[in-house]
Amino acid sequence: MTDTAPSITREQTARVQTARVQTTRVHTALFAEVTQKLRLRAKELLESGEVVSVIGWEAGRFENQTTPAFITDANKVDRLIFNEYCANTLGKYVLSEKLDGKVAVCVRGCESRGINRMISDNQLKRSEVYLLGLPCPGMVESPEVSHASEPSHAPEASSKLLSKCAFCTHRQPVVFDEYLGTCEATDETLGGLIPKPIDPSERFSDVEELEALSLDERNAYFEKLYNNCIRCYACREVCPCCTCRECFVDQARAGWQGKQNNLEENRFYNLTRVFHIGDRCVECGECERVCPMELPLMKINRKMVKDLTTLFSVPEAGLDSETISPLNTYDVADLEEYL
Amino acid sequence: MSRIGVFVCHCGSNIAGTIDVEQLAQAAREFPHVVHTDDYKYICSDTGQQSIKDAIAEHKLDRIVIASCSPRMHELTFRKMLESTDVNPYMLEVANIREQCSWVHKDKDVGTKKAIDLVKMAAAKVDHDAPLFTTAIPINKRALVIGGGIAGMQAALDIADAGYPVTLVEKEPSLGGKMVMLDKTFPTLDCSACICTPKMADVGSHPLITIKTLSEVEQITGYVGNFEVTIREKAKYVDYDSCTGCGLCETKCPSKVTSEFNQGLGLRKAIYTPFAQAVPNKPTIDAAHCRKLLEGKCGVCEKVCAVNAIRFDDVDTTSTETYGAIILAFGYQLINWQELYGEYGGGLYQDVIHGLQFERLLNASGPTEGHIQRPSDGAEPKTLAIIKCVGSRDPHKGRSYCSRACCMYAAKHAHQYLDKVDGAKCFIFYMDVRCAGKGYDEFYMNTQHDGATYLRGRVSKIYEENGKLVCLGEDTLSGSQVRVDADMVVLETAMVPADDANRIGSMLGVTRDKDLWLSEAHPKLRPVETNSGGIYLAGTCQGPKDIPDTVAQASAAAMKVAILFNKDELESNAMIAQSNSSLCNSCGACEAICPYQAITLEEITRRENSVMVTRKVSKVNPSLCQGCGACTVACRPGAMDLKGFSDEQIMREVDALCQW
Amino acid sequence: MSVVESNSDFQPTVLAFCCHWCTYSGADLAGLNRMNYPANIRLLRVPCSGRVNPQYVLTAFNKGCDGVLVCGCHPGDCHYVSGNYFAKRRMMAFKRLLEYTGLEPERFQIRWISGSEAGKFRDVVTQVCEEIRALGPLKHSASFEAFAEQGALGTVNALTPANKAEEVVEND
Repeated sequence: MTDTAPSITREQTARVQTARVQTTRVHTALFAEVTQKLRLRAKELLESGEVVSVIGWEAGRFENQTTPAFITDANKVDRLIFNEYCANTLGKYVLSEKLDGKVAVCVRGCESRGINRMISDNQLKRSEVYLLGLPCPGMVESPEVSHASEPSHAPEASSKLLSKCAFCTHRQPVVFDEYLGTCEATDETLGGLIPKPIDPSERFSDVEELEALSLDERNAYFEKLYNNCIRCYACREVCPCCTCRECFVDQARAGWQGKQNNLEENRFYNLTRVFHIGDRCVECGECERVCPMELPLMKINRKMVKDLTTLFSVPEAGLDSETISPLNTYDVADLEEYL
Repeated sequence: MSRIGVFVCHCGSNIAGTIDVEQLAQAAREFPHVVHTDDYKYICSDTGQQSIKDAIAEHKLDRIVIASCSPRMHELTFRKMLESTDVNPYMLEVANIREQCSWVHKDKDVGTKKAIDLVKMAAAKVDHDAPLFTTAIPINKRALVIGGGIAGMQAALDIADAGYPVTLVEKEPSLGGKMVMLDKTFPTLDCSACICTPKMADVGSHPLITIKTLSEVEQITGYVGNFEVTIREKAKYVDYDSCTGCGLCETKCPSKVTSEFNQGLGLRKAIYTPFAQAVPNKPTIDAAHCRKLLEGKCGVCEKVCAVNAIRFDDVDTTSTETYGAIILAFGYQLINWQELYGEYGGGLYQDVIHGLQFERLLNASGPTEGHIQRPSDGAEPKTLAIIKCVGSRDPHKGRSYCSRACCMYAAKHAHQYLDKVDGAKCFIFYMDVRCAGKGYDEFYMNTQHDGATYLRGRVSKIYEENGKLVCLGEDTLSGSQVRVDADMVVLETAMVPADDANRIGSMLGVTRDKDLWLSEAHPKLRPVETNSGGIYLAGTCQGPKDIPDTVAQASAAAMKVAILFNKDELESNAMIAQSNSSLCNSCGACEAICPYQAITLEEITRRENSVMVTRKVSKVNPSLCQGCGACTVACRPGAMDLKGFSDEQIMREVDALCQW
Repeated sequence: MSVVESNSDFQPTVLAFCCHWCTYSGADLAGLNRMNYPANIRLLRVPCSGRVNPQYVLTAFNKGCDGVLVCGCHPGDCHYVSGNYFAKRRMMAFKRLLEYTGLEPERFQIRWISGSEAGKFRDVVTQVCEEIRALGPLKHSASFEAFAEQGALGTVNALTPANKAEEVVEND
């Protein structure tokens, strides 16, 4: 424990974010074009009766902020917008909306992988959704809701990629019914407009930095995390892997999850949550984004993703709806370390 | 409120010597819901058991903790004892204070303290025990045997002789399998057909055996005692009920086709019985070569048939029936050497043949009537090269395993060849000679005395030169290169699993090994069972073997079926997984994990939050579940739990250990 | 700091989840052979190592166990075909997760011990109990403040904005 301990959490993320700043500003034209197409298609889909609802984004209460929109009336499609502040990942909203009929939903990389996740977990049928693929250059932090260290409302301060977008490996949708972008759906750089997303192998850099700390430092780090957790379960609510009818934390069972808010119970919750989703995490980062305590939850999630990836060479989750979770299968040739 | 009784056993001085049993009993009295404690010299004795029964009656106990030896020793004894009381036999926990306490910890204080902890855990667990019950699974006493080779026939005969009906399914037009193609069998040189065809006839005439030839198993569902099997019986275009098997149609049929039975070395007709002693001995029409069926012309067979048995409008039929047990006996096939061994000509040279083709050349009822003539020009080969391990023990080209029977039939081939051809020379290329078996090594030695030359080494290349097949190889014993100019070459090729192995294996949940042979439940102690209850293995579908081993395994499998059928019903395991459908979110993780395919997702419709909802939930089949509990951990909402080792019980044990 | 100087008097509670078919019978055999091993171990019988839910391990630590051992059949020997293979994958991932979040590796161990390996059972139990005895009791209270004062954890303070407001001073 020296003062050479690597800088972690937000600052490390900030490096990645800053490296990817300016590009988002030049997409005004792209966003405008996609928004137009989106409204047009939403109108057609609703009018034809093919879908009962279109899930997208609309302007929020503040400038430079959006909120999820659920459009069921073809005359109201003009509420839909697509810009660099579309922070919410929409996939999971499908589950509640689909009860009324087929749902159209805007999908970027994160949403599409979440949809695949829910299909492979038997929560959703592919036929129940109509996927409108959108080109995504990565979203930026919204100054009004940001807790950036210098609380400035100057537009420059808003050019930071969202942390979850900085670590994104697949910006473009991996599954869709139609693609509303201008270039190929497989073009992760949107025709050279934006830098390539990080290589999947690089996404564990923050986990590796934590791993390099001493045991006591890590213990302290995570105890701090548990101590700060208020167990609001927002992370669970937004997670496309969390589709239990009754979450283990809500069940009254001995030793299952205590109701106290203390270090032990918070650790139990956070570690069990990771164990429940880590084998299937699509790394959308939505849990971390919505955490009101801004806990770096992806640093735990990604640890399990990293271990499973390296131990059992599994692909990134959610790229298709067929791949079986590495914990639901085995190989007799698995590494042996418990003899 | 539960009423727990705790009984501490002294086991003579085995426990009482190093544990203060009275202190232990006293301590247990303080545990929640414990209303009675006592200690005895020997609880497992009749008087000991009686005293527990008395205490149950006297103190109205509804669950019992016995602190004694390992539950592996007497848990069943005590369960049996509880059967005659009002207490459910599963409302019992055994605290192991002998093997895991008194015998290993010499200090009385330390041992007593640990014993108290162990009883605590047992008391906490028993407090959450629920009465468990076994269910009776009915057994349909009909067996299905898949494969009509020697393994399937033997198994079918044995089961039928034991008095149970059997259906034997064979995909070829006749029973007999590979064995009936052989000329003679090692080491006794019995005529293969002479010992095989009587078995075929026995099967054919057995009143309890139903034969379905040209048939395949299409679908199997269900579980031990209750398999639903759909069998497709292909169109034969001949009405077997009226056909007398006179064979006139076959002689008159103008279409000639390569004979599968003769391994491509002879011809048959489009309407044919594959060989003279076929069972059933009635012809079938090969639709792919019949002129009437292809072009609508001919129909000679129909004209000559005296009993009007020809049915050109015949179609495939499927039937679904219930069976209690299934024996898999679909055998092997030979490896496709042409594909793998380009250096042996890859099929280019007509006179490079495999062992089964050579059997047909040797056979008196074969295409050459038993004269050894090479396929290309019918000449008698004066020099024969036999190459062993083609595809076997060759991980780079074929398979890594030994096919077991080839050493012996290579020796037999050499012997028969040298016997039939005067002045012949025979060279056998081998890697090792493995002749373990009664009379096997003696047979091999005799072959050497007959004049066969054994050369230790693989053949690297075969090519044609001046009408000879030049085999280039190595004699590793002398360290020299060897060249044999042969007139004919016989490749003793590897046995590989039949095409059906994977399809039927996965349909039944029978695991396959790395080479796709079906896996037995235990390599030594359960060699004919599989991990799926009611499914047994016979013959080479489980791995390469010779005829005696195949027959032995077939009879063993039949015996297992007879044992099963001897009972009227099976008792299911009481400690099995159970799914709570209101918690189940239909993710299917349990289904993916279950090694017994005991879990399925089933659709249910029920009122939830005042709306009718249709969704899928997991359901455990109590006849298949073995109670391992692997599914429970995969179940994130905790809908799946294991009776007898429930989440609640285990958590309570931990709780008791740490916090009581 | 969680490591205590000398713990020779400390009697840890070590909970061992043991598969009925292998390790539990291995322990019985150890008893039959009158082998000696530390009395700190408590065996909890499960039908298969595949039955052991990582949540049990967390609960055990939360309730006050100082160490947890999970034992099963050797790979390939599972009484239930595949339970220990699933257990292995789960435990490999979970053990790494616990260590990453600050648990000493010795406190949570997994071993394959067959029904005939009484000696191995004794050796493993002895080793695990001694390792945990040396570590001392499992401490729950956060040592975060100690680190924060030394300034060693630096940016950990930046964990949440709330912390940042409080602790940013000593950090920079």
